[in-house]
Amino acid sequence: MQEILIYILKRILQTIPLLILVSIISFFIIRLSPVDPLAELKLNPSISKETLQKEAQRMGLNKPIWKQYLLWAKSFAKGDLGVTTTGESVASKLKERIPNTLLLTIVVIFMTWSTAIPLGMLAAVKWKTPFDRFLTFLTSIGMAIPSFFFAILLLIFAVKSGWFPVGGLTSYNFDEMGFFHKILDITHHLILPVTVLFTISLAGLQRQMRANILDVLDSDYVKFARAKGLSENKVLFKHALRNAVNPMITLLGFEFSSLLSGAALTEYVFQYPGLGRLILEAVLKSDINLVMASLMMGAFMLIAGNLLSDILLILTDPRIRARG
Amino acid sequence: MKRVIYISLILLVFLLFLKACIRKDVPEQETANNQNLNQKTEFEFPQKAKTVTINGTDYLQSQAPTGKFGGEVILSIFGEGPKTFNPFTSKDATSSQMAGMMFDGLFTTDAKTGEVIPKLAKKYELKGNDYYIYLRKGIQWSDGNPITADDVIFTWKNIIFAGLGNTSLRDSCIIDGKLPLITKIDDYTVKFSLPRPFAPFLRQLSAEVAPKHIFEPAVKQGAKYFDGFYSTTTPPEKFVTSGAFKLKEYKPAQRVVFVRNPNYYEINTKNEKLPYLNKVVYLIVGDANNEILKFEAKEIDVISLKGSNVARYKQKEPNADYKIYNIGPDTGTMFIVLNLNNRKNSEGKYYVQPEKQFWFKDKNFRYAIDYAIDRDNMVQNIANGLAEPLFTAESLNSIFLNKNIKGHKRDIDISREYLKQSGFSTNKNGKLIDKYGNNVEFDLYTNAGNIERESLGVMIKQDLEDLGMKINFKPIEFNTLVNKMVNTLDWDMILMGLTGSPLEPHNGKNVWNSYGSLHLFNQRLEKLSYDDRLDFEKQLDEIYDKASLETDFKARKALYDKYQQIIYDEKPIIYLYSPTRIIAVRKKLKNIYPSTLNGIMYNIEEIYLDK
Repeated sequence: MQEILIYILKRILQTIPLLILVSIISFFIIRLSPVDPLAELKLNPSISKETLQKEAQRMGLNKPIWKQYLLWAKSFAKGDLGVTTTGESVASKLKERIPNTLLLTIVVIFMTWSTAIPLGMLAAVKWKTPFDRFLTFLTSIGMAIPSFFFAILLLIFAVKSGWFPVGGLTSYNFDEMGFFHKILDITHHLILPVTVLFTISLAGLQRQMRANILDVLDSDYVKFARAKGLSENKVLFKHALRNAVNPMITLLGFEFSSLLSGAALTEYVFQYPGLGRLILEAVLKSDINLVMASLMMGAFMLIAGNLLSDILLILTDPRIRARG
Repeated sequence: MKRVIYISLILLVFLLFLKACIRKDVPEQETANNQNLNQKTEFEFPQKAKTVTINGTDYLQSQAPTGKFGGEVILSIFGEGPKTFNPFTSKDATSSQMAGMMFDGLFTTDAKTGEVIPKLAKKYELKGNDYYIYLRKGIQWSDGNPITADDVIFTWKNIIFAGLGNTSLRDSCIIDGKLPLITKIDDYTVKFSLPRPFAPFLRQLSAEVAPKHIFEPAVKQGAKYFDGFYSTTTPPEKFVTSGAFKLKEYKPAQRVVFVRNPNYYEINTKNEKLPYLNKVVYLIVGDANNEILKFEAKEIDVISLKGSNVARYKQKEPNADYKIYNIGPDTGTMFIVLNLNNRKNSEGKYYVQPEKQFWFKDKNFRYAIDYAIDRDNMVQNIANGLAEPLFTAESLNSIFLNKNIKGHKRDIDISREYLKQSGFSTNKNGKLIDKYGNNVEFDLYTNAGNIERESLGVMIKQDLEDLGMKINFKPIEFNTLVNKMVNTLDWDMILMGLTGSPLEPHNGKNVWNSYGSLHLFNQRLEKLSYDDRLDFEKQLDEIYDKASLETDFKARKALYDKYQQIIYDEKPIIYLYSPTRIIAVRKKLKNIYPSTLNGIMYNIEEIYLDK
């Protein structure tokens, strides 16, 4: 147990220089790009020179880039994410959006994993039967169709049928609804975006699981277990599954990192009030504090996800523990 | 056998998917269809609202037909939603629009004539250089406090003239280096004393008035605090407003909801308090495609239509629940601008290559470009016939438009003639060369992602290549383009659009003043120690100064006519066309009087629902 703790500590310490490097690279790439955060103001004939100067000063644009970076890093280290170019607090902007994005991604991840794993196993067990082929056919569609395109198709479907709202998360009269009505309203809005993300990630996950199980089912120890006369269920769940699940745990780590950023494209098409739209606009306007906060968040989630999957691997796989 | 069933099953599913893609061929709509739409929708505006005194309160009485109370209208706004609800710190159109829902100004613009008409103020008098503003007696803020001269004086003295928030309004009120003096005459009369006559001033009094009892504590906390005051995170119940509506809910990236202000000072002809609507909802939509989908799904009630959608909507109109209005030309202008800059940057390099400077500063060259551009073709093919060619710096709906500038058709022979006069010639390969033997080749930039401008760019490129010029058309990202345009100045020609004001040409002084922050065609980054203004720039500076002094409309118009003539004669900026604004409004909304000057929803307090 203690070894694991030391391992975790080591990993966390390793991330610090990594995060610093990520922040330096991203900061300079954004700042060196010829994008002017004041562009829109400058093109407005009724905005005076004095206002422009005041704005440039407020955003610190008149200082050299390395100084801007140091200022940013100093306040970031203190936990202050700064303000956006329009003067709103970055932390509160993110706080508004993170729950919405999490709601979407968690629902999707929960649904895909709880469907993909059993389906993958089933497909492997029923290998080369019509059932397996049918699943293969369906997942191929899921893999082939681009998410934004599928999202647009569903939006058009929503308009033509009138069964679903056209994007968004809540209806305009949401505030006057009762509790259950509210839940229904959100569910109603979530169905289409969840369908898109579910179909797309289900396909890959199900294929991965099927391949893993197939691989394992062919191995000597499974043959041996069968020869021992163990029931097929026991062979599958006790011997095959345990060995097949390792790559899935690694995948789970990546899924974790996509919790906040994985749905951006779909969010954009569905006008979902998540992080995706916010960050896209921030990048286009070179809203440095907001972009940096989201990039750092992404880097952090990726590192945390990997750490999480490594720990899970240690727990599930005695071989890794022994090598430790 | 199993295999056959299995394959046919898959085929069946596949065919089902294919079926969805098949649709009957619909013949392409002709742009001719749009011709009948190209006429402005005609209707009678109601009489002007007047002031009525009931029990000592000076109400504003709307003369529009009376309607039913209740209901809500759902509108849309683009982008990421408002950045603030404070009208004094707002720097973007959406925020200003949202703040405008809640706060009224002393004056507003007449939708039909563009005159300055009273709103929060009862009337004004001009005595010498002093404006006497008379306020309504007995009207209240949404929290029941009276609206008095103190609020007006506080707003102008302690917020606007103190330089809090967006200082653009203050900067445009500086007359000969001085700000107007504000004096309180009594609780309902305020005097603004100007150092000299200044015509745009009255319209500037349309700026929102702030409730002193709410804003004063915030102002005392300093400029930084004020920037975050009445922001998007302020709880809605804290808003104290003078407008027809007040904030009820703001959900980021989703919607802004306003409810009626029960203390609003406008009444209908039955003396009932307006507004009619209980709620106004603005849905925040990311882009035009989403807006169209939302309109089709009946989630929003009003939409501005563009391009091919217009014909489609017009065709469906007879059986649909919406009515289409043509409200005339847009207030924006679309143009190409040439870089006449002949200075060097801080590293001693020319912003524009010397041989190009020679072309651009040559008036004949600019004339050749102007005559080579086929505006009619642009109107037909890019704007689907829903636009008019534009030749003036003022937009077509401006009350100061110089109607004597008639423009011209494309004429490539005239173009060639102008080029010949300046010693340009074409070589064997049909390429244009100047008199020193340089190939005429330059860059045309516009912002990427704007389909209209990208197609315009291609057309301009083709039009100019007919003269043998070589144009490198480069759409680049918007922010990058603006950076080039106003900071690094390393560009030859840019295709751009600017929003204009149909009422006040003086708002364009940042563009036309030789030292303006948006003096596109000859941007000076700082004051120079020497005067290198071109002759026509000097003339423009003079006209702009003079016109702001002139309070008589006719005399002012004569000056602004002259400025438009100078731009047309000198062509530093070549205007292309002005799109026509087409909107669809649900028929259930009544008292809709869209105006080319004020837009659609300016009379939101008079609009009611009739199902």
